[in-house]
Formats: sequence, C-alpha cells, structure tokens
Amino acid sequence: MKRYLYLSAFIGVIAAFPASAHHSTTMFDHAKSVTIMGTVKEVHWTNPHVAIYIYGTSGEVKEPTLWLMEMTSPGNLVRAGGWSRTAVKPGDKVTVDFSPLRDGKRGGALKKITIAETGKLYTADIRAQERANLEEQPAK
Amino acid sequence: MRVFALLAVISVSLWGASVWAAEPENEKPVVNPPPTAKDWADLAKLPDWSGVWNPKITDQDRQAKTNVPPWNPKAAALVAHQLAEEKAGRPPPLFVNCLPEAMPAWMLVTHNAMEILFTPGRVTLLGESDGNRLRRIYTDGRPHPDDPDPTFHGHSIGHWEGEALLVDTVGVVPQAYIAISEAAGVPNNGDMRIKERIYLASKDVLHVDLEITAPKVLTAPWKTTRIYFRQRARKFDIVEGVCLEGYFKEGTDKDGNAIYVPVKHDVGGNRAPPE
Repeated sequence: MKRYLYLSAFIGVIAAFPASAHHSTTMFDHAKSVTIMGTVKEVHWTNPHVAIYIYGTSGEVKEPTLWLMEMTSPGNLVRAGGWSRTAVKPGDKVTVDFSPLRDGKRGGALKKITIAETGKLYTADIRAQERANLEEQPAK
Repeated sequence: MRVFALLAVISVSLWGASVWAAEPENEKPVVNPPPTAKDWADLAKLPDWSGVWNPKITDQDRQAKTNVPPWNPKAAALVAHQLAEEKAGRPPPLFVNCLPEAMPAWMLVTHNAMEILFTPGRVTLLGESDGNRLRRIYTDGRPHPDDPDPTFHGHSIGHWEGEALLVDTVGVVPQAYIAISEAAGVPNNGDMRIKERIYLASKDVLHVDLEITAPKVLTAPWKTTRIYFRQRARKFDIVEGVCLEGYFKEGTDKDGNAIYVPVKHDVGGNRAPPE
C-alpha cells in the first residue's frame, strides 16, 4: 500500500511539469496546411520528439518570426522519412509545410521540409513505415 | 557522548537482529543456475525473431473503432469523454509524464519499435524511445510469485508451444492503462491478467495476440492482435531513447561546459511554441 502512495506522489510531481512523451496530435489541425519559408535556428534531435525552430515568414505574416515544428522520434523519422541527425541543420534555408496548432500559436506538426540549397525534402509521417524491410523500397 | 555511542550500537544490533529474523532459517535461496552449453545451443532451435520490429499504427487506429474493449459502464463513460476531448483538439495526455507506457499499453498503442532478445531461460523485449521500456519474460519454468511486487510491466512467465511463445503476465501496477490510443484508456485498477501468444504470421511480420482480463474495468476478457514489421537494415537499428531528453536542449554554462538546458513544455506534451 505504501508503495502505491509513493507512486501516486511521484506521478503528482511529474504531472506538475509535463514532459514531451507519447501523445495524440489533435492539438494540430491536420485538415489545414500552412507554409513557412525561412532559416533553421535550432534542431533538437531528441527522444521522444524531434523539434525544429525556424525563423521565417508565412502567408500574410511578412515580418520574420520564430516558429516551432514538432515531429515524431528520431528512430521513427529515420525509418519513416529517411532522416538523419544532420539532415536538417541550423542555418539551412528551408520551406516547411505543416499542420498548425489549433490555438493559433506559432507552432505546428511538420509535414514536409525542403532544403533550398539541395532541393532535398523530408517528410514526417509516422505511419509511412508500415512494411517490412523498408530499405528494399525506400520512401518516396 | 558515550550515551550516544551506546544508543548507536544498540540500534545497529536491533536492526541486524530484525534483518536476520526476516530470513527463514534453514531455507536455501533459489539460485538461477549458470546456463550450460546445451542451453545456449537450444536457443538456435527457436524461431528467428532478430531485427527491429515497428508497429502497424494504422491497425491500432482501426481497432480503436472496430474492436472496442468490453468496458464496464464507468470505464466506457471515461473513454467516451476522452475520445470527445481528442476530437475537439484537446487530446487527454495519458502518456506525457515519461513513466513507462507499461503493460498492456506498450503492446497495444506504442508508436515505437522494439527488439527481442533470447537468452537461456528468458526472453527480453526492449523498446525504443523510452529507456525504461523493458519486459523480462521468464521461460525457465518458474511460477509467478505468490504476491508479486507490482511493476509497470508485471511479472511474466512464458513457454514455447511450437513456434509461438505463450506469455502470462500478472502483477502490473493498477495505474497502468488499458489504452486503445495515446489519448484514450482506462487504468486497469488491479487484478489484471494478460495472456499473449507471440508468433511470426509470415517471414517478417510478428503478431501478438492478447487476451486481457481486468475485472475492475472490463465485463469480459478482451482479445486483440497487434502487428509488427521486421526491419533488418543497420540504419534502422534501435537507438537509445531517453524520454526525459525532450525536457532539455543542448547548452553551455558560463565556464564553457556542455550542459543540458530545460525547455518549457505545454500541457499537451509538446514544447511550448515561441511567444
């Protein structure tokens, strides 16, 4: 019994400072697609979610500003989208398509990122790895 | 000073006596014998489950709608509320505290890959993305303890039936969710039992049949099958996954040392977007 009390107390402490573990993504409006063009400021190649900060403009917002893009885990990005830790680097000029946060804040779920200099693009659909031996038929 | 020293000696003596008394007299501890050469050789007769296994998430999505657990009325009401919240763009944050997804949610709703290791007397499952995602399934013939200490992944014993591993798991913490998605699930509330049949459905497709009995939240045992795909390319090997890593970003302190700097998160589990 005492063990449960300790566990409950521990959960309470953690809940006060939520971390970025496994969650649904309906806080993003997947029916919409927004595009930003800009420069990569930071790449957080971390579990459980990778994030990219981009300084750029979008649609009617002509003044450059900072945007946050959330993605799945490094392992999933490697398998599902052909990413690597250095696929996108700070300083890269990029175009990003993303599903925006429903609350209007400057963040979204990255759908596609294209690097201007090389034309290389990466997607981030976690469900794009649903077959065996992915290397035999690389993602398009 | 002498009084304190005397009290310390008495305390230590009493503690020692109590520890000694807790050990049953004349009862030899159970020892796990060292594996023999035959034990190692016998592993080669088992089916090949090597490689990396990533889950079929679209089937998890499908079953969330088509294979609903037989929830009791209270659990059903909670799940209905959770699904409505998720649909409204406010997904309940069931798994955002970096505790393990635990059993059976790991098998049911994980979005991350795993690997499976065979050693004499044991099968071990290791999950990606959470360093604390680990299952030990004892295949050495031992029974469950009479009163297992509750853990996130429970106490699992297994045996081989042909090419299939049959696993029985008890002793899971009551807080562990029976989840149908990352946003909908109910704590099992205790007395849960999970039976699994793990086998290759085809050369590179692994199936995990589960039967979950949870009398506090289900009106009958619930059966489901979860599907995993094998990857063999080295670039897809399991990578280290520390869930709390997402709390931080790389930084440098005033002396030039490499450190981790906390990053703000919002309630839904993502990093807080720029203000």
